[in-house]
Amino acid sequence: MIPRPSLPPWRPLLIPLIVLALWELASRAGWSDARFLPPPEAVLRRVWFETTQGGLATDLAASLRRGSSGLLIGASAGVALGLLLGLSRVAERLLGPLFLAYRQVALFAWVPLLSMWFGGAEAGKIAFISLAAMAPAVVNTWRGARDIPRAHVELAAVLTFGRLDFIRFVALPGALPFILVGLRSALIYAWLATIGAELFLNIAPGLGGRLNEGRETFQMDLVLACIVVLGALGIAFSRCAAIGEARLLRRRG
Amino acid sequence: MPVLLLVLWVVSAREGWLTEQILPEPRDVLQTARDYVASGELLADTAISLRRVSEGFAIGAAIGLVIGAAQGLSQGARAIVELPFFVISQVPVLGWLPLLILLVGIDEELKVIVIAWSAFVPVALNTAQGMRDVPRTLREVGQVLTFDPWSMLSRIIVPAALPSIFTGLREGLAHSWQTLVAVELFASSEGLGYLMSWGRQLFQLDIVVMALVVVGAIGLALNWTLGRVERRLRRWQVQTA
Amino acid sequence: MIRALIAALFGLLLAAAPAFAETTLIRLGYPGVGADNRPFAYGNVVAVAHAGHFIEDEFADDPSVKIEWTFFRGAGPAVNEALAAGQLDFAAGLGDLPAIVGRANGLKTKWLLTDKVHDTIYLGVRPNSGIARIEDLQGRKLSQFKGTNLQIAADRVLAAHGLTERNARFINLDFANAVAALVAGDIDGSFGGVELLALRRRGIVDIAYTTKGDDPTFGRNASIYVTEAFEQAHPELVARVVRAFVKAARFADDETNRDAVFALWAKSGIPVEAFREDFAGETLAHRLTPLIDDYVVARYRDQARRSKDYGLVRKDVDIDGWIDRTYLDRALAELQLEHHWPRYDAAGIKVTDGEVEPTKAAAK
Repeated sequence: MIPRPSLPPWRPLLIPLIVLALWELASRAGWSDARFLPPPEAVLRRVWFETTQGGLATDLAASLRRGSSGLLIGASAGVALGLLLGLSRVAERLLGPLFLAYRQVALFAWVPLLSMWFGGAEAGKIAFISLAAMAPAVVNTWRGARDIPRAHVELAAVLTFGRLDFIRFVALPGALPFILVGLRSALIYAWLATIGAELFLNIAPGLGGRLNEGRETFQMDLVLACIVVLGALGIAFSRCAAIGEARLLRRRG
Repeated sequence: MPVLLLVLWVVSAREGWLTEQILPEPRDVLQTARDYVASGELLADTAISLRRVSEGFAIGAAIGLVIGAAQGLSQGARAIVELPFFVISQVPVLGWLPLLILLVGIDEELKVIVIAWSAFVPVALNTAQGMRDVPRTLREVGQVLTFDPWSMLSRIIVPAALPSIFTGLREGLAHSWQTLVAVELFASSEGLGYLMSWGRQLFQLDIVVMALVVVGAIGLALNWTLGRVERRLRRWQVQTA
Repeated sequence: MIRALIAALFGLLLAAAPAFAETTLIRLGYPGVGADNRPFAYGNVVAVAHAGHFIEDEFADDPSVKIEWTFFRGAGPAVNEALAAGQLDFAAGLGDLPAIVGRANGLKTKWLLTDKVHDTIYLGVRPNSGIARIEDLQGRKLSQFKGTNLQIAADRVLAAHGLTERNARFINLDFANAVAALVAGDIDGSFGGVELLALRRRGIVDIAYTTKGDDPTFGRNASIYVTEAFEQAHPELVARVVRAFVKAARFADDETNRDAVFALWAKSGIPVEAFREDFAGETLAHRLTPLIDDYVVARYRDQARRSKDYGLVRKDVDIDGWIDRTYLDRALAELQLEHHWPRYDAAGIKVTDGEVEPTKAAAK
């Protein structure tokens, strides 16, 4: 394709603006049922109300706490397992097929089992989130560990590195780009699992719970408000992850 | 290794290392499976789940391919669609579930829509990426040979983008299957996810395990099938190159 | 970096570990929530015990004991899960079906006393759905909370009218979801308890059928259980908890307390008028009895058999080995209430009179 001159900068905003305008128009003109589609200001007002008075901050904190616990556990276990699989031929042969089989099972299929093992409270939710975060971490770390250049491994042997030193100075840095991709994926999946856990397991403070509450009580503005918050958080996470990744990779040189 | 695990399972169940609630006896699971197959229930539920996935995936992938292609081929289209697409795809699929339930209820439409959506995102993203990443040189070859847009598309761009497109399709199918199970767990009266939630409500771990195994097996089968199709098309790609 | 990770994990584990102080924690679980997920129960003795702080009062002079109530929106099945995971000591007000299911699957509990018997259930339907009787349910879309005592009660009602679960489409929804689905028109009806009466007052449902006035064995039952582990470790605490529940039952069965009891139940968000309607023509003591007499045992044996018939349970459940009346008898003796409640035999015929004199119809 022939390169075009730079596009008018308002292009990306075209669709959002049109949608927003139509939405506002529809509610003003009464085309839409206010129950099903509250006007944009109502949604924003609800976000404001929930943040200042509705306890949204507590719910958010609860969700984030759960999510980060699960992410921490799952990601560390995942990286550890990934390193094991990538570095040890024996481990790869024994555990590899098992892990691949495990991956075939849809994530949410584990919910009933986990709730029977850990109960439906915090422990069960965190277990589920850990599981969600673990898989991408393992896969990517595994690939990264496997692809460490031979030269580095040989150098480590020459310098008679102990196991731990090897991991610290050769394996981790070598596999870092892959590990970071895995962690970014783990973050996304952990967030998805946090919301999912709140929908499927016991009621507890949390963003997913709020979303569900809005649905059950037919408060569309609450539902949309929660979605807005979810979207904002999702974007924030991606942004942070990207920055973190860039920074870590730069350090590695 | 799987054999070792199986042996471990049987032994631990017999010795009672873990309580019945944590690990059912393999014999029980097998018996349950036999009962359910015999009554035809397992087949019925599996069929329903598969039907939902195929419908949803077909719709989602089709739309994903179109939008992805538009994004990949046309700068203008990409500029317009990129931002809203990005923002919307940041909300996890399940976050949309309550909203959709309010709008379309809890029936089949809900499931198909959610599944289609979860397939749409990776397909669109990967298709766009694939088409965008077609190397300059290849495009220039097409221009030199004065290909019309259709030939350009079919002889150069699509074959070059095929690996990415298939990654997207494979991911989309995996997502679809995941979302299906999640939605069926939530509100359903049939399907594999429903079977699992039945097992959970009635505290029958063997039903849950049985359904889990089936879900995993189907996930495997779907992945494998798509892999075969991809390999077949790769051959075609090589031929046209 | 690894060290930091390990330290973080360790910190998490420490934070999650239970307090190892000298306090003993008594964890009670109730299978249900009030309106808008309020942590309050209604319609039974446990609700009175909780809202009236009977258990806390029993241990008021004992700072080394803490009481913790958890309300499970997932009802009986969620309580079972918590029991299996070792997160509860008492299952207070667990319905007959989930208790039977739990026992059939090896949950080790002891049945201490009863919470309520033949609680009325109702069939709530969407207005203009055209459902007027049970037979009209053929081919309709309904919600049913699977694994709860509502399921087996509903199955019995269906069976009595020649239907099974297969004749209608039953979607597994908990109560809050069922209401949302009813309002949205996604389902045509739902079985439920007194909550449906509250909904009818708001015009959301019509009541197409009720077990009130029908065969009394059609209703729901619930009881109070303790885990074998806790009972072995703290028998004295169990005795005191049982005593507190018996006191609550004594309070709840007193007709002069009728309004007070309804007010306690109304903390759940269900209006008092709904309870009045639900209990119209009945004495409180008709449903709220703590005794595990032959009648109650016969009811549970019956439910266990039916659970197997309906395919909800796959083994036979031993009822007799489950019961431990020692704590109940001791509490009754201590509180001098041995003759307060009448005892019935398996057929529902009164064997001994009780001071509170409920009117119980003969069982079929």
